[in-house]
Order: sequence, then C-alpha cells, then structure tokens
Amino acid sequence: MTGDELCDWCEEVLQPFLDRDLTDAERHEAQTHLENCKYCRKRYHFEEGLRRLVRQAAVEPMAPALKQRLSALRLEL
Amino acid sequence: MSETSSDGARRLAEGARDRVNFEEEALALADQVYRVARGVSRSKEEAEDLMQETYARAFRSWQSYTPGTNLRAWLLRILTNLNIDRGRRAQRTPDQQPLEEGDYFLYNRIEAATGETDEERVLERLSQDHVAEALSAVPHDFRDVVVLVDIGDFSYADAAQILDIPIGTVMSRLHRGRRILKQELADMTVDAQ
Repeated sequence: MTGDELCDWCEEVLQPFLDRDLTDAERHEAQTHLENCKYCRKRYHFEEGLRRLVRQAAVEPMAPALKQRLSALRLEL
Repeated sequence: MSETSSDGARRLAEGARDRVNFEEEALALADQVYRVARGVSRSKEEAEDLMQETYARAFRSWQSYTPGTNLRAWLLRILTNLNIDRGRRAQRTPDQQPLEEGDYFLYNRIEAATGETDEERVLERLSQDHVAEALSAVPHDFRDVVVLVDIGDFSYADAAQILDIPIGTVMSRLHRGRRILKQELADMTVDAQ
C-alpha cells in the first residue's frame, strides 16, 4: 500500500492512544500501523495539535488578586 | 501534670503545623486548580467565585484530607461538587443526539472544505478562539471530563474519582465530549472559510 488510502484501522484506538491508555501490546500495534499508514498518521498529528489547542484554551493565568484572596481565606491560627 | 499539659501543647502545635503545611500545599496548587476552574466555568468571574468557594471549603475541612494522597485531585473533587451544587447543570445533555461521525471527522471535513492535504496546514485553519468557544459549547457533564483529562492531565481513573462516577462513564463522556467539541469546531471553521 502507498499509505495514503482511506483507512479506519486506528480510528478506534486514536483517543486511548493519545490518552496513553493502551496496553503495551496495543500501543506497539498502533505505532507499527502508524509508521506504515500515512492516512492515519496525518490524522494523529492533527489530533495531537488539536489537543494542544484545547490545553491552551485555559492557560489564561489566575489574576494575582485572586491568589491573594485565596490566601486570605486561610484559617486564623 | 505539667507533662500532660506540655503534651497537649505539643499536640496543638503539631496540629497547627499540619494545617499550615496543608494550606501552603493547597495554595501552591492554585494555578493548576484554576485552569480546571476556568475550563468548567463560562466566565473568568464565575471561575474566580468557584475558586474562592473551593478554597474556603478546603481550608475548613482540611482534616478530612489524608496526607500523602493526591491533593490536587482532592481539591478538584470539592470544586466539581460545588460546581454541580451551584446548579450549573441546567443545560440538557444531548445524549439523544446522534453523533455518528468518527474521530477523523474534523480533519476530513476541513481537508475537504479547504483542499489542504498537509496536516500542519489543516491544523492552522483552527483558531485558538474557536477552540475556546467550542469548548464552552460542550454541555457541562461532558466538558468537566474533557477539561480534567485534556487540560488537567488526569488519568481516566483520577477523573472518575474526582467526579465520583464510574470509569466507564468517564470514557463515554470523554468520547462524546470530544465529538461535540469537534462538531462545534467543524461548523465554526468550515463556515469561516
């Protein structure tokens, strides 16, 4: 195969693979497939990029004033 | 007699020290806890309120925390429970809506709409604003799980413990939550071309 044909082989394991929730054997099988299948590989790369964007969707840091307010909530000794 | 009272004083001092340690450890995790708070809230103000309620409750009930266990998970359990209590679940969960597309659906749809065949170029079509907007459109039950796993970097098992739901429910909500996110993103991204 050229590796560019339509393939749904690892669509099923895409999420658990990225979540590191596969057994060693399953992960190895998925990796071997990805090395040979351009169709799935491109989509895995895309999905990894999407994960990064989701992670960055909440990186707006906490306001320093909030940190002070939280600290003020500590119980009196 | 004097020994007994000095024992008592030592115990008091130890208790105070444990509490201060607890408070400092909890505050050191505030940035990480905030990321999840922000992810599950609609606005910055809502996230800040939720943080204050969470920390007030944590400081009051510090003795129910078992030292050596996962403090971040313990704090987030308080946070997600408060979030449920505050009635932020009014949105109906679209469990009945069919979501038949597979995981490659978003990529396939952008590729088809733009003609881009390089995955980096396809990825560039997604905007950070659209991702944040799509995430906030995911109903709470699903969003909580997506936020804990994708933003909080928790395992399925930790997320199950925090939300007090079975691990199978974590997996199904995560699956569904990500599909809804992609559906929203696909609509925004393809419409914007």
